[in-house]
Amino acid sequence: MPVTSYRSASCGCCKGWVQHMRANGFAVRDVVVADVGVVKRRLGVPARLASCHTAEVAGFALEGHVPAADVKRLLQKRPQVAGLALPGMPLGSPGMESAYGKEAFTVMAFTRTGAISSFSQHAK
Amino acid sequence: MTTPLRRRQVLGLGLAGLGTAVVGPILWDRVQRSAARAQPAGAARLGSRGGVADLELVAQATRGSLPGGPAELLTYNGRSPGPLLEVNAGDRVRLRLRNELKQPTNLHFHGLHIPPTGTADNVFLSVPPGGSFSYEFTLAKDHPAGLFYVHPHQHGLSADQVFGGLSSALVVRGDLDRIPEVAAASETVLVLKDFASASGQEAAMGIGRMLGREGPLLTVNGELNPGLAIPSGGLLRLRLLNASNARIYRLALEGHRMVLIATDGGAIATPESLEELLLAPGERADVLVQGDQTPGTYRLLNLPYQRSGHMGMTAAEEDPRTLATFRYAGSVATLPLPTTLIPVPALPKPERTRRFVMAHAMGTGMGGMKHDMGAMGGGGMAMGGMGMGFQINGQAFDPDRIDTRVALGSTEDWLIVNDDVMDHPFHLHVNPFQVISRAGRPEAQRRWKDTVLVKAGEEVRIRVTFRDFTGRTVYHCHNLDHEDLGLMGVLQID
Ligand SMILES: [Cu+2]
Repeated sequence: MPVTSYRSASCGCCKGWVQHMRANGFAVRDVVVADVGVVKRRLGVPARLASCHTAEVAGFALEGHVPAADVKRLLQKRPQVAGLALPGMPLGSPGMESAYGKEAFTVMAFTRTGAISSFSQHAK
Repeated sequence: MTTPLRRRQVLGLGLAGLGTAVVGPILWDRVQRSAARAQPAGAARLGSRGGVADLELVAQATRGSLPGGPAELLTYNGRSPGPLLEVNAGDRVRLRLRNELKQPTNLHFHGLHIPPTGTADNVFLSVPPGGSFSYEFTLAKDHPAGLFYVHPHQHGLSADQVFGGLSSALVVRGDLDRIPEVAAASETVLVLKDFASASGQEAAMGIGRMLGREGPLLTVNGELNPGLAIPSGGLLRLRLLNASNARIYRLALEGHRMVLIATDGGAIATPESLEELLLAPGERADVLVQGDQTPGTYRLLNLPYQRSGHMGMTAAEEDPRTLATFRYAGSVATLPLPTTLIPVPALPKPERTRRFVMAHAMGTGMGGMKHDMGAMGGGGMAMGGMGMGFQINGQAFDPDRIDTRVALGSTEDWLIVNDDVMDHPFHLHVNPFQVISRAGRPEAQRRWKDTVLVKAGEEVRIRVTFRDFTGRTVYHCHNLDHEDLGLMGVLQID
């Protein structure tokens, strides 16, 4: 399934997520843009769910370091949502592996109207 | 003056109906009344007598409650913020730190010009749980007067301990305090600090360690929206310290301009009238406020600020928040503003320029291991890399490596480059510096600084003379989560 990922040139972690997706069977087009905010607004990512990079797959938005397993479940179930978001840049999420530690995180689903719900929880 | 009036109206209209006023419980009062405490909290102020300051800070976990439930705060002498420490230039200072935490801690004397070694501002020493240490040093007779900051600097735990509540403001009395208009002003120290909510849910919304943790409870001296006084007709001297872990404050006082008289390291030469003041973690500012408006109620506001470039991260707070509410009180003879303060001399021509690039990045292993992200896990990092973290010039902090060697007495320009998607406040220990330019634009006035906000994608040139003290010290990001995640370097002064 083709994924298009948009990131800024200076971000030090977006490439790691691209590699994580490729390692899990996704064909990823890695696009460097001057202003990621433009992409986020076009795809309707709520500001409070923002992370560094933004991607598109099969008409869904993917915000931040969303694990490939969650993306696969999204594509299987095809819920009535605009996309998934992992707000911020939690340590231990794909592309954010770190010897400094891991943080628990929750992947959120959001709709075009800005409704937000929990999609999956990931323990430390 | 028409500007203050216009400002008040603009803010008044902008805020109508938003209901942002937080008339909350007094946070600290609740902690004081908590039955779980074994001892009452210590004095709110500790000072020096006859040229000697004999002080004690006990770092401890204190049970109390936050709006939303019970919480454990970290305190000095049962207080957060800890007691206000007040000393004079020229004083002998002995400060005994007792560690009653379950983890090591230590102290940094943020902004003081004292040795980085021995029993002075030595951040490489560590006080184990149950242990104690006596910090001892003498402040120079001509040490600038100012507002300084005592807080833990235990690498890897600094953010947890400061975010948990450990901090004390330190006032050094001296030159600035003797200027008649400043001496006549009524003085209030404001320690600005955000706390996590009792549930800590905000971390799940992305404000974690990579961005630097912020909490939704905005306190001033440990209270939510305290009531404070402006002397009617007189001058109020507000002394502001940002003791937060990561939050950057954008401050405005309704209906009033703030007249800047001092920055981190002491007085500026000419007072500067401001409508807003941006204060990053670790920064301080002294401002004078004239009580010349219609007596009434005016809010100290924290205006929205985006500290993660254009990415939209940390934009959850879009409305101004009330930090404190000022009321006109009493009536004093009209006091004028000072016109000149204390000269800030230009530093000598720099002998060399260094470049420090700050960014978050995947650390490569010590063996130059090429990362395969798909296979990256505990095993990959065990081969030597730290994985994701923050770096200066491609290297994460290592206490056993000297990154920068400078000569005592020399002057250098440091170009601090933020090649990241979020802001980084850069802090240098022991020697104050002057900002020469930001993003290529020269600074309007010389100021003594020890912490400077370098915004995402920005470059700031600072100039520093390494005076008086040799030894090993550090420079780092004062978003303390970033410091703990590697954004720190070691400086050796020979
Ligand atoms: Cu930083």
